[in-house]
Amino acid sequence: MTQAIYNGVLNLAAGAFLLAAVLVVWRREVRAIVRLLAWQGLALAAIPLAEGIYQDDAALIAVGVVVLLLRAVALPLLLARAVGTEAHERRESTPLVNTTTSLLITAALTVLAYAVTRPVIALDPSPATRAVPAAFAVILIAVFVMVSRRQAVSQAVGFMMLDNGIAATAFLITSGVPLIVELGASLDVLFAVLVLGLLTGHMRATFGGTDLDQLRELRG
Amino acid sequence: MTTALHEFPTVPTPGQTLRAARRARVHAVLSGGLTAALGTVGVALGLSVIFGGPRELRVGWLLPLVGVQLNLDALGGLFVAVTGAVSAAVGIYTVGYARREHLARFPLTVLPLFVAAMMLVPAAGSVTTFLLTWELMAAASLVLVLSEHHRAEVRSAGVFYAVMTQLGFAAILLALVLLSAAGGGDSFDTISASSGDIPSGTRTAIFLLTLLGFGSKAGLLPLHAWLPRAHPEAPSPVSALMSAAMVNMGIYGIIRFDLDILGQGHPSPHWWGLTLMIFGAVSAVFGVLQASVATDLKRLLAYSTTENMGLITLALGAAALLSSYGAMAVAALAMTAALLLILSHAAFKTLAFLAAGSVLAATGLRDLDKLGGLARRMPGTTVMFGIAALGASGLPLGAGFVGEWLLLQSLIHSPHDDTTLLMLVMPLSVGAVALTTGLGIAAMVKAFGVGFLARPRSAAAEAAREAPASMLTGMGLAAAACTVSAVAPVLFGPLLERVLTALPTLGGEAAGPMLGAYLRLPGVTGSIAPGLIAVALVVAVLLALALARWGGRHRPAAVQAPLWACGADSLSPRMQYTATSFAEPLQRVFDNVLRPETDVEVTHYAESQYLVEKVTYRTLQADPVEQRLYTPVVRAVTAWAQYVRRAHPGSVHLYLAYGAIGLLVVLVVAR
Repeated sequence: MTQAIYNGVLNLAAGAFLLAAVLVVWRREVRAIVRLLAWQGLALAAIPLAEGIYQDDAALIAVGVVVLLLRAVALPLLLARAVGTEAHERRESTPLVNTTTSLLITAALTVLAYAVTRPVIALDPSPATRAVPAAFAVILIAVFVMVSRRQAVSQAVGFMMLDNGIAATAFLITSGVPLIVELGASLDVLFAVLVLGLLTGHMRATFGGTDLDQLRELRG
Repeated sequence: MTTALHEFPTVPTPGQTLRAARRARVHAVLSGGLTAALGTVGVALGLSVIFGGPRELRVGWLLPLVGVQLNLDALGGLFVAVTGAVSAAVGIYTVGYARREHLARFPLTVLPLFVAAMMLVPAAGSVTTFLLTWELMAAASLVLVLSEHHRAEVRSAGVFYAVMTQLGFAAILLALVLLSAAGGGDSFDTISASSGDIPSGTRTAIFLLTLLGFGSKAGLLPLHAWLPRAHPEAPSPVSALMSAAMVNMGIYGIIRFDLDILGQGHPSPHWWGLTLMIFGAVSAVFGVLQASVATDLKRLLAYSTTENMGLITLALGAAALLSSYGAMAVAALAMTAALLLILSHAAFKTLAFLAAGSVLAATGLRDLDKLGGLARRMPGTTVMFGIAALGASGLPLGAGFVGEWLLLQSLIHSPHDDTTLLMLVMPLSVGAVALTTGLGIAAMVKAFGVGFLARPRSAAAEAAREAPASMLTGMGLAAAACTVSAVAPVLFGPLLERVLTALPTLGGEAAGPMLGAYLRLPGVTGSIAPGLIAVALVVAVLLALALARWGGRHRPAAVQAPLWACGADSLSPRMQYTATSFAEPLQRVFDNVLRPETDVEVTHYAESQYLVEKVTYRTLQADPVEQRLYTPVVRAVTAWAQYVRRAHPGSVHLYLAYGAIGLLVVLVVAR
């Protein structure tokens, strides 16, 4: 893999990564959001794979494969199973923030991400670190998704995106995370999704829906 | 949620019950055995350090950046050995207790951990390690206090304890951070080498903060409120560990940081010793007053702990004050008294709580007003509690006597020719110690007399059975320690001498008292021989028995006759003195301090108002310090919390938004 192709793949992956996050903000259909999460996982996995092939690092390629299997296949499947069958649960019906405003806020957050990561890039300018703002923007967008969505599954998608963003930032800044660290983090996320799936089922059984606003009465 | 986890209404089959019982026995033996083994190791280690010189161990990888530093010197060795001895007795006792009281698996697992943490605290050689082990000890003890968390009182006691111990930890943390910043290092050796350079303002701040933090652990007034709550509600082996070993760590902290490390730079100012003495005296008198009116057996013992910690702090303060005036010989005497009191208190308080535990296991009662008549039903436990009560009352041949006698001697013989302060303080302290001892006797006579003698006052007390052998063995060990410190303190002599030599700031260089068969005090007229007193007593008792037998030959034969019941039909056990009635005169005398809520209600017959149908007497003895000091604070905190609650409307989205906004602010500010 030449330098030019490596740069191209890296930039494409980072761009797709950010685009997937923006599309998640845009779409209201829960199933579509989960599918977008799978695409985002694919873009995330492309980063360590490209770096691994470029640097001839077998461990990094292994990390890439693990990430691919987990974030592009396993987690979206698990989440898709948690989506309810009722019509009102398959769509974010009454958003807390409307779509136009959401997209504007997303744009603002992306600009902010570019602004605050400038010192990080200045430390060690390289193709990988130049893509950090995109990953960072995903973190901020993910937090926004968690703040603005009502359905439990959308919240879980926000959480996954947050974790994807953190993982991408780690890959880009350190150019390669040790296998053991990535395995540990992935295991954590897998458990989190399993628990979330379980809790969603419980919520549905108890309240007949997974709207988080129904949880208001639980304070002590 | 806790109830849901605990009460599965399933009926086990006989096979399951049998298997569960066998598993419970294995757990009890494992936990108790491990605790006892750790304790034995602790005793061996402590003694080897005291007599063989300090030991050092550094584990670099365990804590990031600083590592774990363990330095055990003679002073730390003494506390490790005391903790170890208490744990050994408690461990053996736990084997029987856990089976009888069905202790759950979780507290049984944490018990050895708690003991290990307690023995690591005096071994810590750096500020970071000390804080780590201290917090480990606090967390483990909290888990143990909450063993029976399905009871509401236990949960309330747990909350109280958690808040107090964490506030204390905050004070200690602040003090030690100040100390290590001013002392230029993390390890205690570095800090003590440069402690002379610490400015006096910082020293004062460190002293006050450590007094607050360690005082709350030692149960000194006014930070004692967790003690009479947590100790009664914890399982008895845990109460014994907390009351006999853990509170000592507060004393250790005061000695280590205020008198040893800070004292090596400058001699401590006069007011430090004076402050310690005042806190000690007030705690001692208040603790013993509360103990003498308490009717809950374990609460009484908990207040007695406050009393004894007060006496120890008084002795420490006296040592510090005297050494700041240069009277090293008498300071060494006071310091010896403090160390001896720590030893004897650990011995008799372990025994007392273990005996109270075996009463609780046999009857399910802690209320003295419902006990009684145990001397026939549980003779072994009764003898054990008797030894403990004798020790706690500070009478000759009791474990606490020699220490209190030494303390009184040091107070009486302090040089006060030219200093007004000593002239005023020392006689007042003598008065406080004397009052404490006197009231202590009343409290212990009440606990023993009402709790164990006479006739049972309830069906549960009537049905009591003796404790199993393992519990009696554990208590026997503690009783042996009590007897040694009462009759032969000579055995502790070399040990205390070594520890004292390691504390140069407290008159370590001056010759301490000689704890021979005759206790002699150098430079002071006064000596005593507890061993000889014991021998004389035994001889006198034997002589009296022989004389009585000899004289009895001429007596007429005994005749059985009905008991004179003052004209009433029969005597019922309810006509006996109860703990409440025994303490009533004291309650009346100290009404201003204790402020009991009493209520007498007289009901007359409808036909005539001159004839009384019944009289109801209710009394509630709350802790006046707690009511005056804690209630306003808790109320203020609750009021403030109302403002904070407004930001908590219950919306998950809002909480997430708080986090998001916080993140953005941090990002923008930090760049």
